[in-house]
Amino acid sequence: MTNHWIDFKNADVILVMGSNPASNHPIAMKWVMRAKEKGAKLIVVDPRFTQTASKADLYAPMRSGTDIAFLGGMVKYILDNNLIFKDYVVNYTNAPFLVNPEFKGPGELNGLFSGYDEKARKYDKKTWGYQMGEDGTPKKDPTLKDPHCVFQLLRKQYARYTLDKVSSITGTPKDKLEAVYKLYSSTGKPNKAGTELYAMGWTQHSVGTQNIRGMAVIQLLLGNIGIAGGGINALRGESNVQGSTDQGLLFHLLPGYNATPSASLKDLNAYIEKFTPKTKDPKSVNWLSNRAKYITSYLKAIYGANATKENDFGYAWLPKIDDGMNASWLMLFDKMHKGQFEGFFAWGQNPACSGANSNKTRAALGKLKWLVNVNLFDNETASFWKGPGMNPKEIQTEVFMLPCVSSIEKEGSLTNSSRLAQWRYKAVDHLGQSKPDADIMNDLFLKVRELYKKEGGKFPDPITKLTWNYGKEVDIHKVAKEINGYYLEDVYDKKATPPKLLGKKGDLCASFVHLQADGTTSCGNWLFSQSYTQKEGKVINMMARRGKEDPTGLGLYPNWAWAWPVNRRIIYNRASVDMNGNPWDPKRPLLKWDAVKEDPVSKKPGVWVGDVPDGPAPPMAKDPGKYPFIMMAEGKGALYGPGLNDGPFPEHYEALECPLEESLMSKQRINPTIKIFGEKEDAFYSCDMRYPYVASTYRVTEHWQTGVMTRHTPWLLEMQPQQFVEMSKELAADKGIKNGDRVKVKSGRGEILAVAVVTSRLKPFKIGGQTVHQVGMPWCFGWQYPNDPKAGDSSNLLTPTVGDANTMIPESKAFMVNVEKV
Amino acid sequence: MATNNGKKKGVLVDLTRCIGCRGCQVACKSWNERKTGKTALEGNFTNPKQLNSDTFTRIGFIEQDKADQQPVWSFIKSQCMHCEDPACLSACPVGAFSKTEQGAVVYNFGRCIGCRYCMVACPFNIPKYEWESTSPWIRKCTFCADRLADGKVPACIKVCPTTVMFFGPLDEVKKEAEKRLKENPGKYVNHIYGKEEAGGTSWMYLSAVPFSEIGFDTRIPGKKLPDITWGMLSEIPVKVGALVVGLGLIAAFRNRGADADKSSESKQEKEK
Repeated sequence: MTNHWIDFKNADVILVMGSNPASNHPIAMKWVMRAKEKGAKLIVVDPRFTQTASKADLYAPMRSGTDIAFLGGMVKYILDNNLIFKDYVVNYTNAPFLVNPEFKGPGELNGLFSGYDEKARKYDKKTWGYQMGEDGTPKKDPTLKDPHCVFQLLRKQYARYTLDKVSSITGTPKDKLEAVYKLYSSTGKPNKAGTELYAMGWTQHSVGTQNIRGMAVIQLLLGNIGIAGGGINALRGESNVQGSTDQGLLFHLLPGYNATPSASLKDLNAYIEKFTPKTKDPKSVNWLSNRAKYITSYLKAIYGANATKENDFGYAWLPKIDDGMNASWLMLFDKMHKGQFEGFFAWGQNPACSGANSNKTRAALGKLKWLVNVNLFDNETASFWKGPGMNPKEIQTEVFMLPCVSSIEKEGSLTNSSRLAQWRYKAVDHLGQSKPDADIMNDLFLKVRELYKKEGGKFPDPITKLTWNYGKEVDIHKVAKEINGYYLEDVYDKKATPPKLLGKKGDLCASFVHLQADGTTSCGNWLFSQSYTQKEGKVINMMARRGKEDPTGLGLYPNWAWAWPVNRRIIYNRASVDMNGNPWDPKRPLLKWDAVKEDPVSKKPGVWVGDVPDGPAPPMAKDPGKYPFIMMAEGKGALYGPGLNDGPFPEHYEALECPLEESLMSKQRINPTIKIFGEKEDAFYSCDMRYPYVASTYRVTEHWQTGVMTRHTPWLLEMQPQQFVEMSKELAADKGIKNGDRVKVKSGRGEILAVAVVTSRLKPFKIGGQTVHQVGMPWCFGWQYPNDPKAGDSSNLLTPTVGDANTMIPESKAFMVNVEKV
Repeated sequence: MATNNGKKKGVLVDLTRCIGCRGCQVACKSWNERKTGKTALEGNFTNPKQLNSDTFTRIGFIEQDKADQQPVWSFIKSQCMHCEDPACLSACPVGAFSKTEQGAVVYNFGRCIGCRYCMVACPFNIPKYEWESTSPWIRKCTFCADRLADGKVPACIKVCPTTVMFFGPLDEVKKEAEKRLKENPGKYVNHIYGKEEAGGTSWMYLSAVPFSEIGFDTRIPGKKLPDITWGMLSEIPVKVGALVVGLGLIAAFRNRGADADKSSESKQEKEK
């Protein structure tokens, strides 16, 4: 998230949409309640009246999969009623930028943007570029009147999102829409802060990325990014999933969100050239222009002394993906289903229940030669071969169980949604033969390396040249230090006269600011540089700090653990001040430029007070002042975002499976760039009488993810024992279902049994004049434990094989089902 | 009312803050090392359905449909109220209950004879019996008396993320309840449940929803229950005594001259 958990208490208005923190992040809900105690207003928009909604000042129901329509209506409301934070929008966003006059949007092209290739299902973005000035920067109109400026294009894009149209698509009554829009856009004043909390309710859609973009547009229009009590805040679904994406566990990333190189990037220079953004604007920091330092330091960290200038720092040993290859989850299991994998490590996961279209996943597991389950418990994945509908005699997969330890049985860091890395100590000794994951990896790697050294192979170097010396039993501190990075030589700031010593050979790096592109520094993850560092000779694990001071009173707690980057607690915080460095809201002084106080580093007058500033440069109005959005090439927040696959502005499309034959917004029913999987297992059914109800999946407080850990915890299972499906009283009456009845929920891909929870917290929607029913289910149950048919199986047996256009995250939040009494 | 220098504790349960996370339910089970039973979902998330010998506190989920308004969904924590003058303590023939210095009403298995009068006496229906055990205890919330004696807060209060429970000296808790009512007109129902009920309890509640609609018994009189019993019991010697005397007098009156009749009967017998 851009802000952090505790910061929610600083908001005036909190919008919860695409998440349910009271149920799924109850500790975070503490901060929402603190905000309410101080007079903040809570808005909840959700198909279902949730536990969070029970605390809301304003609740609006909305059909699953129509968030962009809802948000688009809010953009229109803000623009029509002139509620934007003008100074912020003009100076800190790309609103004034002029776009290629040939660019056309969905309003003119019936749901598409210009440059669409129907056969390839992708866009040629030629017409999406900016008009460039002679100085090499985009042309701008600070009056925001030019018809080709981003601001006017934005207005044009959302002109169709009238209250009538939005209400017809979302099923939200018009008065509720207006009430939400009015309350939320009241945060457009300089002294008001609005924050948004989202989770899988926004990401798990074929338009997921654009859902979040929609809110980013609203937050930029209202001046809510970079301020205390503002931001766009993802509530991550697992205590260390932030850590996992930070460390590059996704196929397309290396640690620190550097891209995985594709095969055609033949050398390090080609990689650096492709992934280093450029700008001609001297006021834009363009922080990613430092890319070469980070990738080179990464190569030095993993290949150590083997990586030299002469061998391109070992770039040739770095694994590459084929050009255009997508190895995301849905693709992996599709290939596995086609028999293209020999083996699979299900490492700390339960794909037989967590992946969309679980029947396909379970069948895919049967095509493997071997499967390794690294987990605390046996689960539906490890035991897939004896699950419902499986014939063990026909399955050749050899399954291994490697028991691992839980987070309390080992030391290490967890990085939460606030980007806060907190070091944990070991509380109890491990049971039996279970081992920490790091030790399992260590044992495997050492054996593999030994085999490569002995037997050779096609290309052993990527294994044999890796630095890997964490001990026979892994010293996790060594890993943390490697991630932080070291000075491999005495490193100097050559720009200073005389050259200033930044760090001594062998010392831990002070931060990524010191990283070099010439091989004199190593760093496993540039974002985490400073997390385990050295100050005046003393080694400090910054993540283990527990200081309770809060000098600004805004809940930053700068000495409690350590957040990336460089302990900045709210990112883009330079947008929290005006061009002269004074906070827009003096009551929330996140940052303030003190022109008199001496900067301890430069020894010159002028320093930022408050949070760690986004770079030490002076405010924009002073020389050499910098724009606040330092990670964007042009330094401005993006209202217009041409970098995404499905459009520079969010546009409403229906889910792959939806209750309508045609979208009410345009002729383009679904996201035009999503991948359509074609196997019979991937069949989808829209506007089909057999599956007439909209379904969504969600979590419950008592269980976690697929329930592998929590179904084995009796205190939790007692509270939440069985799979259920929530439905409205109206739908239940239609189907003769009573509260507590056993029902069957069926989709085009599978079926499950569930207990009917008939409730007034779900109500039928009026969509385009028709009645559309919505149901919802948790996805925490599985057949393997408790071994009781009444407990239930995973909701993911129902979900479709389709993913977001940019991330491929499965669309588990909007699909079609039927419900029958059994 | 003496609160022995703040040693006596109270709790204000502000139901408007509860988000139904059930952390309290688990923390209690954890601290008291309770077992679990087999439960089923029967359409309402409350589980177990009632307090039992292994569940000393639990959250009840109560939904109310409001026409033309958003629904109301309340989460209600139940546990022993630790009455000022507990009916269970009074009803127990062997003195198996006592009230600690901190105000916790605690049970001593060593004295219990299994008569279960406490279960009948409690107006809140709290004490539960270990029916399956061959050596059954009465079980209920202990106000974490062991933690209180150690200067700690009860487990449920410690774990609650949204500070539903305000814990402190009983006097301060009562003041806090009054303060919240005064400073937030219209937010709460104008009643502190537990202030007067059963003569006053250590655990008190504030709610935005009328108490009768969320499972609270609003018929419990505002006087100490042992006083009601005492009121009747204390009259027994007088009333029974009066009855004995009264009936004795009536009998004596009716039997007057009974000896004379008898002697005349025997005289007649003799004369035959």
